[in-house]
Order: sequence, then structure tokens, then C-alpha cells
Amino acid sequence: MSCEPRPDDFESRRQHLKALSDAELSERFWALVDQIVAPLIEEARTHTTPSIERSVLLRMGFSSLEAGQLVERMQARGLLGEGAGRLVLELANAKGITLREVGSGLLAGRYWNELS
Amino acid sequence: MKLSPDKKLDLREVLEGLEHYRPRRTGWRWRRRRDDPALGPFVYREATEDLAHSVPLPAAHYFGDIDPQCDMVITTEIASGRFEDDLRRMRMAAWHGADHIMVIRTTGQSHIDGLIEGTPEGVGGIPVTRKQIRATRKALDAIEDEVGRPINLHSYVSGLAGPEMAVLFAEEGVNGAHQDPQYNVLYRDINMHRSFVDAAEAKKILADAGILQLDGAHNANATAKQAWKVTPELFVQHAVNTGYSRAAGMPAGLIALSTVPPTAPPAPKLRLDLPYAVALRELFSGYRFRAQQNTRYMESDTQEATVTHVLDTLLSRLTSADIQSTITPDEGRNIPWHYNNVAGVDAARQTLMGLDGLMDMIELRQDGPLRQQVRELKERAVLFLEGLVANGGYYAAVADGQFVDQGYFPERRGDGIARDPDGGDGAGSVVARAPGYGAPVCSHFGVNVYAGRSGKPCADYGGCTLCDPDKIQYVDELDAEDNVEQRLREPLAERAAGVLRPEVEKHGDGIVCVTLLVPERAEVAEAAALEMARHMGLANAEVISRRLLHPAEGSVFEVKGRLDITVRIDALPMKPAEALLDDADIEAWVRGRDIHLVAATVGEDEHSVGLHEILDIKHGGIERYGFHCHDLGTSVSVERLLDAAEQSRARAILISTIVTHGDVHKRHMRQLHALAQQRGLRRRLVLIAGGTQISDELARACGMDAGFGRGTTGRQVASFLVTRLRALEA
Repeated sequence: MSCEPRPDDFESRRQHLKALSDAELSERFWALVDQIVAPLIEEARTHTTPSIERSVLLRMGFSSLEAGQLVERMQARGLLGEGAGRLVLELANAKGITLREVGSGLLAGRYWNELS
Repeated sequence: MKLSPDKKLDLREVLEGLEHYRPRRTGWRWRRRRDDPALGPFVYREATEDLAHSVPLPAAHYFGDIDPQCDMVITTEIASGRFEDDLRRMRMAAWHGADHIMVIRTTGQSHIDGLIEGTPEGVGGIPVTRKQIRATRKALDAIEDEVGRPINLHSYVSGLAGPEMAVLFAEEGVNGAHQDPQYNVLYRDINMHRSFVDAAEAKKILADAGILQLDGAHNANATAKQAWKVTPELFVQHAVNTGYSRAAGMPAGLIALSTVPPTAPPAPKLRLDLPYAVALRELFSGYRFRAQQNTRYMESDTQEATVTHVLDTLLSRLTSADIQSTITPDEGRNIPWHYNNVAGVDAARQTLMGLDGLMDMIELRQDGPLRQQVRELKERAVLFLEGLVANGGYYAAVADGQFVDQGYFPERRGDGIARDPDGGDGAGSVVARAPGYGAPVCSHFGVNVYAGRSGKPCADYGGCTLCDPDKIQYVDELDAEDNVEQRLREPLAERAAGVLRPEVEKHGDGIVCVTLLVPERAEVAEAAALEMARHMGLANAEVISRRLLHPAEGSVFEVKGRLDITVRIDALPMKPAEALLDDADIEAWVRGRDIHLVAATVGEDEHSVGLHEILDIKHGGIERYGFHCHDLGTSVSVERLLDAAEQSRARAILISTIVTHGDVHKRHMRQLHALAQQRGLRRRLVLIAGGTQISDELARACGMDAGFGRGTTGRQVASFLVTRLRALEA
């Protein structure tokens, strides 16, 4: 659906703005922007996505191909909310092996039952 | 890798050792003011540091070949589909003053959920991959050394793989990026939750790497029919991305608004565009501005496009811009050609140097319609935001079609782009972070168990790739056929064999463009133009621009086609390069010999600049070697020149002839030669002609001893004179 058509009723709609100084108008502009942005950024703060998790694995030294497969498999197991990077790092710490060894193990089908 | 101005970019060298190549720096670079404002005969108010190598504007040779650089960074957008061809174009653009190279992505990359690797060929852009970015950055590092100014590489962090693309850019030294989740939502129909959640992470990565962010608001007036009516919404789109970027941790100095003057003539452009530009700069004071040029009303006529773009650039100077982007004048008719990138960059720098210091002399009137319209635009933008809030916030408003409606808000046409918050590409892929969620890496946004600890989040394993680039996993090629090595085989073999073809976009494309005026009514004329092009041997001839001169008298066409021939360099009739005498040798021979010369512009011709350049000591002319020059001025007859030569016992006559109507320049040269013979002077007089349409070959054919064309220096003339006079004495 789209907004219903309506004529340009700027004159009647602006009545509450016309007494504002330029600085007050600008202030109002940015206050409204902050109000609109707040729920969006809150969602970002508390959520993640496959792309974010792949970008984490890239930063941990995996290739795009490895990161893609690892995230896909974690997503299929409902594990993304834990953080792909945390899962890999904790497994490496627990087993005393490197991050890349964890990655190649997971890609070979190992360790999956040890991930929480 | 080091470039030499007389050698082509070695693509083999670019591709060699890429797996180990590291960018020399990260982050954006602005131009630096020139210490000394004086340059040639002028003092500049806004000039920045000179280039070590460049191609000056064509008229620069009147002013000592100066090449002043403007204060704004100049952008050119490059995308042929093959990055290896784009690199050569980048080098050309850099020599003409571009220091922001925007690499357009291949069609559809936004919808690929992940990174692409290798060097596959693209359509309307390149697939942005690590290898292509790395090769481009490596080539640009060498090009920036050659021109002597940092060059910013730029591409796009949008689509389904934004955070990964941002990591790639941070790792590989990309300096600028488009990042605006609204672009995904409105124009790519990518799920809005996914787009915004991804965007926060991407923005954090870009911010920490010092990468300049451009937003995507300009797309709204590129799509609207009446682009000036979406201006209230544009403030809002800029503001949503700006506010969101700040909330994600991006400093104001890295946030650039991508803004386009919405109209083009015959619209009353500046009257409509100026209030919008002023209001935007006032509301967004403290942020950067990337001024784009108008594409919305571009037709296939490159001259019309250039005039609009010059007006756009004037608007940048009347308000402000940190970056002046350029649109190639041929974008209305094809994927841009090499020389049109250069044409766009040249038009911008020519305009900006021409406007240097303008605002020291004029100001925008604040007591007229400008202020009133600025205020109205701001109020309409605030009303738009209020409507957004009343609608239930951003997602609900998009679902309701509040965006890209063509009504002048608060007017509504009901034709906005509506998107379902639960729909689009990537819908359902956003996941809530669990209480123990963690991402042990730098530049991560939001809730993270590793963020609150002392030390870096990546300390547990010795550092992430942003701290330790050696950990980056480089993937070379994934496709044995679709890669740069395969594509380069033929071009490199041809180059090695010294074979040349014309080119506009890709090596060996053979495309040429001819201009034809056909004196007939339009339909007949167009058919005739195509037939004529076929007779010229052009394959796939196609009219790419048509302009009616008169319904009955004719039309002018630009016709492109493929010239399917090759030329061998070693078979070309090349004249050996002229060896010039040293300044000291010339002077040693001339001084003490008391050599007189007579010079003038002949015929009915008042041009004198060229001749002065050749004669005058202050222009580095031949007087400085000790020649006695008798300049008789302009519009001088051949007879008078010979009279003067006899009186002063001159050894040479130099004529300048600029006017060429009815081949009058050839007639003057022939007359001079014939009359000198009649008077018995020809043997002892050296006769030289110069002018913009004169070549040595033409002048000799008309009886002269030598001819000199555009760009000739005094030293060339003096060197010839001494060589010839020596021979005569011997």
C-alpha cells in the first residue's frame, strides 16, 4: 500500500512551526531524527545477521569461503545468536588448538556436538 | 612498483605478488593548500598543492603551462566491467586531476549474500573482490606516486554483504565507501531489519578505519520524475543515515552527504537548486558534502550535459563542497568511455579554477526569495519527519509508502515505494543476540561479551586481521575461465607485437565515433548517416546522439561503430624525433653575429599572441638568444615584410598566419616564397611560417623552409634557424 494522495496543505500544517527561530527549527529537526533512529540502532545493538557473523570470522583469519560455510552451518543449527566468533574461540581455548584448526575441523564435520 | 610517464602501466607487474601486497595507508585523504598562492602570472585564493605530473588545461600554455589544482577533491566513477582496463583509465584521470576514484560494482552484486573472489568480468561495473581491490589499490599507489598526490579509492558497502565488504575495505586500504541502508530498502528491496542491523556493524568498521562514508540520498532525485519535489524527503534520508551513523560511532568528519542539484535547464536551475543547497548545508553544518552532478535529466547530447554539470559545479562554489563528483558527459548514452571520464574531470577543474576566489567578491542575498525558500524547505522537511513519527516510525512509514512519493511534501501523490518490513531479500535472517553473545574482534558494534574487558577484544588469540594483517586469507581465482589471466592473453600478445586498435572502453574494442552533418530532414538524414558510416567501414554502426539543426535543413549525428582493423607500430611512417640544439650552443652561435629577423602576422589577421610567444624574451622567445627581431605587428602585407627584410638585411622572415578561411594561410605562404624569389632574396632568406593550423609539411609544400604548429617553443624555432643559417654559411 501507499499513502493516500493529498494536496499540498503546507500552509495549514506549518502553523506550529512558523514561530520557531531557525535554530529552534534545526533543533526540532535533529530531535525528531534521534527519535526515529533510536529503535533502529537498538535493534542493531541487540541483534546479529549472517553477514555480521561472516565479517567476524573474516576478521579472525578465515577466508570468505570458509566463513560462508561455517556461518551457514551454525545458522542451520540455530547457533548464530551465540556469535560465530565466540563459538570458534571458545572451542579453540577448550581444545588447546588454533582458530584455523577449529575452522577446518568444523568444516570437516567435527566438533559440532561440542558447540553450545 | 614505479611508473614512468613514457611507459604504459605494466599489468603483469600489477598482478605479480598480489598475495603479499599490503596497502601503504588506510583512511581518506583531503587535498592540502598550496603554501605559495602565486602561480605563473596569477595569485590564487583556493589552490591546493601542485601535481608532479599532469596534463594541464588546454589554454594553460598561454600562462606558462601552469596547472593549478582546485580545493575540492574531484571524483570520477569508473566501471567498464574489466578492472584491468579501468586501471589505465584511472591513470589518465589522475593526470587530469581526479583524486577520488569510485569503482562501480557489477549489476546484482547487492543481492549476493557473501563476498565474491577472483577476477570475473562484470556488467556495468566490476565484481568487487579482494583480488580486484588489491590490484587496484596497488596500481593507484603507483599512480599517486607518479602524479604526486594521494588518490582515494572508493566503492560500495551495500547489499546483503555490507559488514564483510566493510572488513574487506578496511583490510585492503579502500578510502571511501557508500553506506546507506535506505538504499538497500528502497531501491534493492533488501529486508529493512537486515539492512539496518548490518549497517551499524559496517559503519563501525568504516569509522574505525577512517574511511569516508557517502550516503545514498541522491538516488531519490535520480529516480523521481520531478526531482525538485522530493527535496523535503532528501533532508530526511540524509538525516536518517547521518543520525544512524553517529549512533553507530562514526565521527562527523567521516560523514559526507551525497547531494545532487535536482534540476537541469531549461528549468530555472539555480533558482530552484540554490535554496535547497543552502538549506542542506545549514541543517547539516559540521558534516562533509559530496556534490554530485545531475544525471536525472541527461540526454545523449554531451555538450548539453557538460553545461548542466558546469552549473552544478558553480552551485558547489556558491555554497560549499568538499568533494566535487563528476558525471561523464556520455553517461546518458552508454557506459562511460575513457576520454569522457577525462572530459568530466576537466570540465570540473576548469570550472573551479575559473571560479577561484569568487566568494571573496560576492555573497548570496539574504533579504530576498532565497531565505524564504530555504526556510520553507526546512519546514517541509520537519513536517516529513513528523509524518514519519506519526506513522509509527521508519519501518512503518516505509511500509506505508511515505518515501519516494513524487508529491512536494506535505503533498502526496500516492506513488511512493512501499516495502514490507518482513519481506525483501534476506527477510528473516536477523537473529537476537543471546545473553552470552560474543564477537572477539575489533570494530564490532553492539552487545558483546568481549567488549567490556581490558585490552582488545581480539587479545585472546593474538589479534584480528585489523590488528595483524598477516592473518588475512587471500583467495586468488575460483574460476579457471572467467579471470584476468585469460582476458589478458590476447591484449598482452598484441601489445608485445606492437599492434594497435582504437579503443574507448576495453582493450581492442575498436570503437570509434564519427560526427556527421547530413543536410536533409531528420529521418532521411539518420538513415543516410548510418549508410555513410557503413561506407567508412564501421561495423555495427549505431547513432548514439542526434541533434536537429532544422526540420528541413539537416541534423547532426554522432555515430559509433567498430573499426575492425589493426595498425602495426613498426609500419607507421614516423618522422625521427627532432634533435634540438642546446640553449647554450644556440646563444653562442647567435651572439656576435648581429642576426636580424623580420616577423609579422600576415594578411587581414589581428592575432598576435602566438608570434609574441615565439619572439618575446619575456615568454622565453628567441630574442633571448641574441636575435634582433623586428616585429611589424598584425595584418601586414607580404610586400611590406620583404621591404623591411631588405632594409634591415634580415636573414630570416617569420610569419604568423592564423586565419584559414578560403585557404588564405596557404596563399600567404606561397606569395611570400614567390615574391622573395622575384626580388632575388629567396636564397639568402630563411622563411618560416607558424600558426595553429600550420604543419611543417604544409609549410614546406607552400614554399617555406619550415612550419611550426600549436605548442611550438622559441627554442624549437631558434634551433631550426641556427641549423639552417649554419648550413647557408657553409
